Amino acid sequence: MLKFILRRFGSSFLVLLGASLLLYVLTINSGDPLKDLRESNADNREYLIEQRIDFMGLDQPWYARYWDWLTGVGKCVIGQCDLGTNRSGQQVIDLLGLAAASTLRLVVLATVIAMVFGVLIGILTAIRQYSGIDYVVTFLTFMFFSLPVFWAAVLLKEYLAIGFNDWLASPDPGFSWPTIIVVGLVLGLALQAVLAGNARRRLFTFLGAFVFTCAALPYMDWLNFARYPQLGPVVITLVGVAAAVGATVLGAGLKNRRVLYAGLITAVLGLVAYYATYGLLWDPNWLIILILAVVAIGVAIAIGRLMGGYSKGAATLVSVFTAVVMGGLIIVEHLFRSWPSYLEIVGRPIATIGSETPNFTGTFWEDFLDKGTQLLLPTILLALISLASYSRYTRASMLEVSQQDYIRTARAKGLNERQVILKHAFRNSLIPITTIMAFDFAGLIGGAVITEQVFGWKGMGELFRTGLEQVDPAPVMAFFLVTGTAAVLFNLLADILYAVLDPRIRV
Amino acid sequence: MKYTKLSAAAALLASSALVLSACAPGGPAENEESGTAAPEGGNGEVMTGEAGNKLTVEPTDTGKADLGEIETQEGSISYSVGEDEFISYNSMTPETYSTYNSAITERMISTFAYFGTDGEIYQNEEYGTYEKISDDPLQVKYTINEEAVWSDGTPVTAADYILKWGVENPRITSGEGEEATPLFNSIAHEFGLRVPDAPEGDVDGKEFTITFEEPYADWPILLDTAQPAHVVAEQSGMGMEAMIEAVKNEDAEALAPAAEFWNTGWNTSPGELPSEEIAPSNGPYKFKSWEPGQSITLEANDQWWGTPPATQELVIRFAAADTHVQALQNGDLNVIEPQATVDTLEQLEGLGDQIVIQQDASLTWEHLDFNFMEESIFSDSPELREAFALCVPRQNIVDNLIKPLDPEAVVMNAREVFPFQESYQEVVDAAYDGQYDEVDMERATQLVEESGKTNLDVRIGYSAPNPRRAETVAMIKSSCDEAGFNVIDAGHADFFGVVQPQGDWEVALFAWAGSGQIASGRNIYHTAGIGNQNYSEYSNETVDAAWDTLASSVDPEVHAEQVKIIERELWESLHGIPLYAHPGIVAHSADIANVRNTATQSGAVWNAEQWARVE
Repeated sequence: MLKFILRRFGSSFLVLLGASLLLYVLTINSGDPLKDLRESNADNREYLIEQRIDFMGLDQPWYARYWDWLTGVGKCVIGQCDLGTNRSGQQVIDLLGLAAASTLRLVVLATVIAMVFGVLIGILTAIRQYSGIDYVVTFLTFMFFSLPVFWAAVLLKEYLAIGFNDWLASPDPGFSWPTIIVVGLVLGLALQAVLAGNARRRLFTFLGAFVFTCAALPYMDWLNFARYPQLGPVVITLVGVAAAVGATVLGAGLKNRRVLYAGLITAVLGLVAYYATYGLLWDPNWLIILILAVVAIGVAIAIGRLMGGYSKGAATLVSVFTAVVMGGLIIVEHLFRSWPSYLEIVGRPIATIGSETPNFTGTFWEDFLDKGTQLLLPTILLALISLASYSRYTRASMLEVSQQDYIRTARAKGLNERQVILKHAFRNSLIPITTIMAFDFAGLIGGAVITEQVFGWKGMGELFRTGLEQVDPAPVMAFFLVTGTAAVLFNLLADILYAVLDPRIRV
Repeated sequence: MKYTKLSAAAALLASSALVLSACAPGGPAENEESGTAAPEGGNGEVMTGEAGNKLTVEPTDTGKADLGEIETQEGSISYSVGEDEFISYNSMTPETYSTYNSAITERMISTFAYFGTDGEIYQNEEYGTYEKISDDPLQVKYTINEEAVWSDGTPVTAADYILKWGVENPRITSGEGEEATPLFNSIAHEFGLRVPDAPEGDVDGKEFTITFEEPYADWPILLDTAQPAHVVAEQSGMGMEAMIEAVKNEDAEALAPAAEFWNTGWNTSPGELPSEEIAPSNGPYKFKSWEPGQSITLEANDQWWGTPPATQELVIRFAAADTHVQALQNGDLNVIEPQATVDTLEQLEGLGDQIVIQQDASLTWEHLDFNFMEESIFSDSPELREAFALCVPRQNIVDNLIKPLDPEAVVMNAREVFPFQESYQEVVDAAYDGQYDEVDMERATQLVEESGKTNLDVRIGYSAPNPRRAETVAMIKSSCDEAGFNVIDAGHADFFGVVQPQGDWEVALFAWAGSGQIASGRNIYHTAGIGNQNYSEYSNETVDAAWDTLASSVDPEVHAEQVKIIERELWESLHGIPLYAHPGIVAHSADIANVRNTATQSGAVWNAEQWARVE
């Protein structure tokens, strides 16, 4: 294995080197680096052109410029990276750091959301193959997939930012009856399609969801939820218990009481923690949150181990899941608590550009909200667009695996459907998806060029685009260095993950 | 029921997530909150300008209005030039010089002169004054305001300008002979070239005089941004006296440390705001904060001695131009200068009363230039040039492409003056007889026939892609093809880099951005400008002589006289055909007062210190 990895590293290095030479030559020949000066009518135009030729080394042959760049990068080995300067004399390595940080902030969440929901949708459409929901979801994901980003971004800004802000700023933000009925109908239709069953069952699901919406939305209005949102201990407990029960159903089956009790105990402890940490979480910092998270998961693991008996593993999983849900709810409650004071500071919470409100100062939660609201639109957009590939791959992979002999065998030996799907089918279907995920993670560091631009983020995509536009090799090469290396590394990681998922590949 | 458990679990999760429970509605039952409440009162009465924009004081000329006794209001106003990041406090090197960078540094470093909204030069009297004290030799005396200080407390003195002279002095070089390059990496060298000796004046004093070698037409705007000399002296370790001495002696060796600091010492990486110690302000604003990739915030300079800035904070956000309209609508930006296109204008008009749109012309002007290089069909044929000028539908082009953006747009009949300037009518009356106002197809056809030329391909080159220019060419084609020409759209992505130097064009369609200088056109039309900006290799003795006279005179009357001669001769020899001044749009939230569109390149931010929120 080690020999294999080393050999892969060696060949990847050579590939990177060759690619860097190719990209460098392509970049410096991609246009006219003096273009902006040629149309200038400054009286010292000639001097400016000379200065730029001199500064960028345009009078040197390509191999000399490439060699300059390569020796600078070579110094990384001794810890003194020199990625050169861009046309304005700024150190590219500093720009790269900022761009990478900004890009990661922008795309990681969106990618994780897209992966989780994509895989879930994939499983759902696979087990309901050729049903109404399969067709509808397929239609929707393909539609999202083919959305032109800049256009979709304009729409999102119009309705979710400007529209929402206007609605929030209106004297009485509330839902009109037509809105409530439409929402109820859509929700009811969607839910009955997901849950399926015979006609009677579908009708009840639909009616249940519709009536619930018609009651809940006016109730939220009455609560003034848009401006003063709240969960309250009752909702937190209900959702926590639901999470415990749901996880048990999926992970072990409700008959396994030990697992169920582990989940329920965790939910109750979560409620206790809600009160116990209320003061601590009034204005915390990241360290406190991190410590509390570690403690919560530690306690959950302990509960799972103590309560689980023969099903320790399942009990621990359920217990940890419940703890994570409870922790999330507690955070949401604190965010809700800070929402009114945040609104007082910014007025219009969802901005159309930028990653934060300029000069924003507030408590930890207000700051959290500020960064979160700015992330909302780009995250929705990026997640919607990448949903399609994950869901389609998962669906195809699940369908293929479901026709394997061992699935039939599993059913024949009397395993229940939950075990067949989750343990036998899903796990095996993950193998091809892993490759795509690895590639995607490598790709996401490259940034979402257009998304960054339309939402005013300065990320890797912007670094690359500006460099290319100005025929300025240093930023383009810095971009290449990071994305190229990431592609190689994640490919390697995918190979190793194969071995973990599929014992037959292990060498 | 194969999936009962799965379904049950999902139902439970979904429905319980939506269950709501709370004891009472949140917050006060009747809350009338609004986050960004406009500050009350403002500064007295508010008037409404021509475009519906609010003004606290009616401007009397095209310069900055006198706001009188005002106090700085709390609050902030956001503006964006574009997505380009701030680079350096020193925007006077070739690498850092850009409109994006200057939009910020010009708020922090004052200058003796500034351009009014029509390009007219005004003295910035709060900062200092200047006057011509002698014509021959040309001598100018500058007086800095007694109270003028940098925000670190050091007075602004003649030393700053003595250093500036050294910085812009190409005789101070590193290296010898052929290898010699200016020691200071300055974008301009005019000051050092025109003025042989360092400014005379006490280093610690507020007055200095400069003596020009020869009369210089653009003397009033020679002295622009001057960096703080005391910072350079201190940071380079030279000490003020030694540095000034070395500058006066043009001693390159001694100045090396100062030059090193001046060239690179102010460059910062995004997010690292230079400290006040090295980057003080002597303007109305100073640095407050910098979110890399997002915005820079300037705050009122508490050491500023003049009229205080109307609003405490000015936020300059780095956002791509195509995001500006929605950002304005959502209040993320308060003042924007979007690209003047019909689509943008429609979008803006759709926003209704919450914003104000100011549509004006700018100092950038579009024109068609004939190619005078040998291989061009126009170079030796005045008849063909005349025929082409007669068939170009100038009025149509303006009506269809420009009027929708600037309702007052007219066909431009001059090159050195603009339709919105006072002297325009006088110059046009003297230089142009109106012979090309209307398309005269008969005469054009006749001239083409008389010329006897058989190859009548006219390649109109421009920098593509550019929809407006493509449409212009299409309109010219539909008209001039009738006269016998064969107009070819020769738009090229690298027109100025490849096509233009090779001469593969008969007519070039592009724009010059007016700099506000009087003599800058010399490079374009003078024989000496060939190889520089005289792209079409035009050469005309009358024009050459007139430019020489103009550039070496400091008398405004001589300037006016020579401009008429130049314009007349350029029309007569048909150097090219001017078309129109580019439209410029400024849009801003209706509650921001004193925003005034300007034709110059300084952008709407030119009077940012006067912007204020009003009711």
